[in-house]
Amino acid sequence: MSLLRTLLVRGLTMLGVLLAVQILVVVCLGATGYSDRMLQAVISEQLRGMRSSLAQTIRDPARLEEALEAHREELESSYGLDRPWFARMPGMVARVFKLDLGEAHTLRSSDGSNRVADIVLERIPATMLLLTSAMVITAGIGILIGVKLATHPGSPLDRVVSGFSAVSFALPTWWVGILLILIFSFRLGILPTGGMYSVPPPDGGFARFMDLLYHALLPIFTLVLASLGPYVYVIRTMTLNIAQAEHVTIARAKGLSERTVSGRHILRVAAPPIVTSLILGLAGTLGGSILVETVFNWRGMGRLYYEAIAGTPDEMVIVALTFIYTLIYILARMVLEVLYVILDPRVRYG
Amino acid sequence: MKTATLIRELWKSAPGKLGLTLLGLLSLVSVYVILTYPSDYGTSRWGNPALWADNPKSVPPAWTGFLSSVKPTRHRIEEWEKPSEVVSLDFGHERIYRMVFALKGDEHPTFISFSLWNVEYHLRPPVITAVLSRPDGGRITLFRQAVSGPRTGEEAPYSRYRDEPLREVLGSDQRVKDQLTRFFSEKYIKDIDLDVVHSAPVMALFGVPGFDGGFPVLKGEYTLEVRILVNDERDKAGKVRMVQGGSVYGVMGTDALGRDLAEGLLFGLPVALLIGIATSTISTLLGMILGMVSGYAGGKTDLVIQRAADIVANIPVLPLLIFLVFIGGSKLWLILMVLVAFSWPGLTIMVRSMVLQLRTGQEVEAAKTLGASGARVIFSHIFPHTASYILAQLVFFAPSAILAEAGLSFLGLGDPSIPTWGQVLEYGFRTGAVFLGYWWWVVPPGLLIVITAVTFMFLALGLEPVVDPRLRGRRWWRY
Repeated sequence: MSLLRTLLVRGLTMLGVLLAVQILVVVCLGATGYSDRMLQAVISEQLRGMRSSLAQTIRDPARLEEALEAHREELESSYGLDRPWFARMPGMVARVFKLDLGEAHTLRSSDGSNRVADIVLERIPATMLLLTSAMVITAGIGILIGVKLATHPGSPLDRVVSGFSAVSFALPTWWVGILLILIFSFRLGILPTGGMYSVPPPDGGFARFMDLLYHALLPIFTLVLASLGPYVYVIRTMTLNIAQAEHVTIARAKGLSERTVSGRHILRVAAPPIVTSLILGLAGTLGGSILVETVFNWRGMGRLYYEAIAGTPDEMVIVALTFIYTLIYILARMVLEVLYVILDPRVRYG
Repeated sequence: MKTATLIRELWKSAPGKLGLTLLGLLSLVSVYVILTYPSDYGTSRWGNPALWADNPKSVPPAWTGFLSSVKPTRHRIEEWEKPSEVVSLDFGHERIYRMVFALKGDEHPTFISFSLWNVEYHLRPPVITAVLSRPDGGRITLFRQAVSGPRTGEEAPYSRYRDEPLREVLGSDQRVKDQLTRFFSEKYIKDIDLDVVHSAPVMALFGVPGFDGGFPVLKGEYTLEVRILVNDERDKAGKVRMVQGGSVYGVMGTDALGRDLAEGLLFGLPVALLIGIATSTISTLLGMILGMVSGYAGGKTDLVIQRAADIVANIPVLPLLIFLVFIGGSKLWLILMVLVAFSWPGLTIMVRSMVLQLRTGQEVEAAKTLGASGARVIFSHIFPHTASYILAQLVFFAPSAILAEAGLSFLGLGDPSIPTWGQVLEYGFRTGAVFLGYWWWVVPPGLLIVITAVTFMFLALGLEPVVDPRLRGRRWWRY
């Protein structure tokens, strides 16, 4: 029962976050007049379609304009343009949720569609590939190194890694990416400078996959490098605290093997706080991935931000991206929260 | 705790010492920048391409010459108010301005140009000629043009190039290429690669035809003459400037507009410190006040503040930051405000829990019994216990603010009137500096961001022993 309750509270908080972000976005759009312009654009789009079909039946240009004007007013009241922006807010929130954000000015999806939803949605897989692999690798390496350090506290390696993790808080992830491009692509010439596939992409599913992997190497490495330091440090400290607890001493005194001690009595106990640290690092990794995608021309949603800002700004694409990123963040948070609840028996029985 | 004691405590630890030293250095440089730079630097200098026209574009720092076996050519710029020589002719005078320069490097000059200000004439328009004499005896006429004639209704003396100089980048003219081709075929009987002469005339201008079809540098003494042929003795030119573009420039090199990166990067330092310190101070104050109120007042106020903190703490900052700055416009103060708006909850939650503990403690109890007011209890009996912890947070917020602004600038949302390191990087990235290997353009700004952020990191680490040890474990970078 308490398990459900905990999850419900967490879920509600997350829903609150999503709603708060939506309201913030909609208020900003409304107060600055963006939403008016956006709806006007949608209406003119519809009227243009109507004009060509009406022109078939109505020959007289004056009557045609009259009919179109009537349609315009009808549409404006149906979209709520005759009311102030705050009266339209609920509708606007709903439109953002459905990604019903009209058409982009200059950006196009790969099959040429200019609908904002198409442009943004087709970029999700690329971003997810980068984010999930970076997080899984970070978590894996982080646990390995962190536990290793915790068993030798104060060793030279421990000090070096602790120092590095302190410095890595001050490292801009994207700049690390630029450095890696300079070293591995420009100087050594062994890895591509960016993009997702070679030009032209190789034939065959497996070859294509390997090509994608080859291009993903540097961006993933960048993300891992930037988030690994703090993460290792957290795991080390967590594990160290628990390794010095009495139940571990007792477990050793019982004559249990070192494997059992570190696996069952240290790591298992340290698991929930390790998940917490993953949760805390999530926002940073997400933000880092936006900039890393930009640097490596990785055609995911982060790069789309850059493309939507540069040149002719595509504001609705940015709205959609902000929404999707919040959504992804919240979903990932929920997954980790569930993991936490599964791992921590105190939540279940407390 | 007094400031002096605090600094002494900080100085005791290695990171504290390092942090204080770095902060002192950065502050000194910032003070120098604030005192010497104009307050509208971003718009009046950095954002004004005309000022940088005579600098070489995208060239590495001058000191790279010491590290490389290829000797670079240094940048030369000379200015005259008076001609070096005046030659009298039957029909007037020729005023000659001469720049003599020796090429010793292995790299070609990047360009050659002259500028002319304030030409005044009375009867006939002067004719301006630019001639390059090469060490091998070649004389190439790079430019010949008469100053524009009198307009209808204009009275003598006629004044030209008063507001805007006549600026000519030499060598790309078709006639120059023809002269070069002819000269080379007479002097060096070889097959000349016409393509090189046409695509890179400056290389040919300062080179001899090589065996591999290129034009290796011809070392030796060159003379660039700007001659002004005037027909009236009263005619004159105000100022002449000649530039031989170097293949290296200054301490930090230049960007694609020829801007001196050392200058721009130096300006970025006080800006970065301002971003870090202003954001962290305001957000710490906000977080602290909200935390105190939340913890001390309790009840509904507490509930509202805590729920708000929960929500704001869980918002992914960068996407929202991008959105808000995009909609609100790229202004530095807006960026700062948005950063503040998202960074208070951590401290609020922390301070509240500390206040809750302290509120029921004996000290507060005693103060209340003695009739102390709520404000007095907060200021005299609660705040001092949390002060050192809040100070640690203050220091710790700064690097994240600097990094956030840099990231935002890198996406193209930086305030264009205030150049920052992130903007220098953005321009470099957008113009392909990363893929062309222009390291001097993209490495130093990032390094400066890291150094500034690390300074605050070290200070935070040094503060650790000062902060209440019971709370140490709860610091967010540990858990």
